[in-house]
Amino acid sequence: MTLSLGERWTLIDRISKETVTFGKYEHTLKDAVGELTVKPLTGIPVAIAIMYCFWSVFGSFAGTLMTDGFFVKLFDGYWLPWIQEAFPGQGSWLYAIMVDAGGFESGEFVLSDNCFEAFGALTSGLFVAIGVVLPAIFIFYLMLALLEDVGYMPRLAVLLDTVLHRVGLHGYAIVPTILSLGCNVPGVTATRILETKKQRFIMMTLLAIFIPCGAQIGIMEEVVPNLLGWILLYLIIGYFIFGYILNKIVPGKAPEFLIDVPPYRKPLLNNVSKKVWGRIAGFFKVALPFVMLGCAIVSLLYLLGVIQFIGDLLAPIFVGWFGVPKETAGPLVAAFLRKDLAVAQLSVIEMTEYQLITAVVLVSIYFPCVATFAMMLKEGWKELIAAIGVLTIVVFAYGGMIHLIGILLGVA
Amino acid sequence: MGHPNVGKSVFFNRLTGANVTESNYPGTTVDYTKGWMKIEGEDVELVDVPGTFSLDPKDKAEDVAVAMLHETKDAKVITVIDASKIERGLYLALEIIEEGYPVVIALNMWDVAWDKNIRIDARNLERILGVPVVPTTAISGEGIKELVSRLKDTKPVEVDDIVTNAGGLT
Repeated sequence: MTLSLGERWTLIDRISKETVTFGKYEHTLKDAVGELTVKPLTGIPVAIAIMYCFWSVFGSFAGTLMTDGFFVKLFDGYWLPWIQEAFPGQGSWLYAIMVDAGGFESGEFVLSDNCFEAFGALTSGLFVAIGVVLPAIFIFYLMLALLEDVGYMPRLAVLLDTVLHRVGLHGYAIVPTILSLGCNVPGVTATRILETKKQRFIMMTLLAIFIPCGAQIGIMEEVVPNLLGWILLYLIIGYFIFGYILNKIVPGKAPEFLIDVPPYRKPLLNNVSKKVWGRIAGFFKVALPFVMLGCAIVSLLYLLGVIQFIGDLLAPIFVGWFGVPKETAGPLVAAFLRKDLAVAQLSVIEMTEYQLITAVVLVSIYFPCVATFAMMLKEGWKELIAAIGVLTIVVFAYGGMIHLIGILLGVA
Repeated sequence: MGHPNVGKSVFFNRLTGANVTESNYPGTTVDYTKGWMKIEGEDVELVDVPGTFSLDPKDKAEDVAVAMLHETKDAKVITVIDASKIERGLYLALEIIEEGYPVVIALNMWDVAWDKNIRIDARNLERILGVPVVPTTAISGEGIKELVSRLKDTKPVEVDDIVTNAGGLT
């Protein structure tokens, strides 16, 4: 026999009367702190403080301490000169792909003097993966794990609920969004906690377009630190503008959400360390092969002249529509395969600050990385095709808009 | 099975030695994970599923949980209940019992319930439901051994019997 809904609750009532006694509840310090972080008046300043803290720890640990303070010295000072010597066949195509494509100065072949410009799989590829991305995602995941285990995330969700409703989502969308700042792949999986197809589609599309992953942020922090704020601002604005538009045109419902806000807990060292380790391992299993392979493929395409060819073909669009110099066409095309290195390449091209901001924003909102792409395919191919359609439109519309803003401000 | 954020993944990791992500917010687990544990020398497969409020799924993650339950008809179900919110946990437990699954109930977050001055007579609850009921605090590991040792004591229960044990529906 099965019970009806009403009967089931009646039965539960009876059972709980028999077995449970509720004592007097005392308001504890934990509850007080809990309330302070949820009520808008106190919660928003707390949220800003936490985000600021997150940000400065991220920048000073990953950028200043680890990458500049240690890895740049290690890779440029020791690893690069050594491998340039040790790897046979200087000037050959294999050498160019694996170690150093070098450059020509007054007709003579010269080797690169740093790992950002060498563009070999064993130099730039390895340096980016270990020297830049590893510290960035390590500190990101460590702080994220702490916030998660303390129980702050659901409170942030409550705080941001009103804002996120404007883009067809609700407060809980902050979970996939923040996860994506580490890596878009788990972010895409996390969209499953959203109730309707419409919400999942909007979320996935916004993630793929506007949320740069830990690797990208790490690189930007390294090569264009003083422009990072502007770049992120443009991305956040884009997230809301296009979320708002998608909410208006995508059919379906965007229901309210109900959430249990769990009590604050002390994070357990064991769990935090396991989680950080697991995520980094996962990231590297997916990312490292792609980073190295991407490096090699891009170098190969450069050698074959494919990138120059497509770049020249598309240059009028880049120059006319987006307002960036012709030289950026190559890196922007290569960014289809290697977003993070493309940023590094852009940073050495001569252009105005505003053009650099535009170019880096373009790289970010471009095609998602291959791993994210595969993950979205797993969640549904129709949605993926629709997302790519949206992405193409967004790249042109938003890229053009940034250019227009620059013209209006008189900086482009 | 259990509601979101009651500690299912914590149990799973403790029992199988796996590394499923655990966090203090609902919706951390969105897919199922399989693992193995040993009970009295025998290998037993254990499945961690996303949280669900009922057997009537309302999002994709809950879908995964309910589909997994219905695909494995011969499973024993560890139903994890937040002891500080026992009533709605019992709702899910009853639904699973009514579908004929042998259930073991973990009254998890026993420490939180204790702090909130909620006292539960687990023995009486076990008598009424006719399935093992074990108070646990998964994070610190309390009660986990007993939970495992009671797995063999469970059997399908007729909901009529539960109604009778509770003293009728009126």
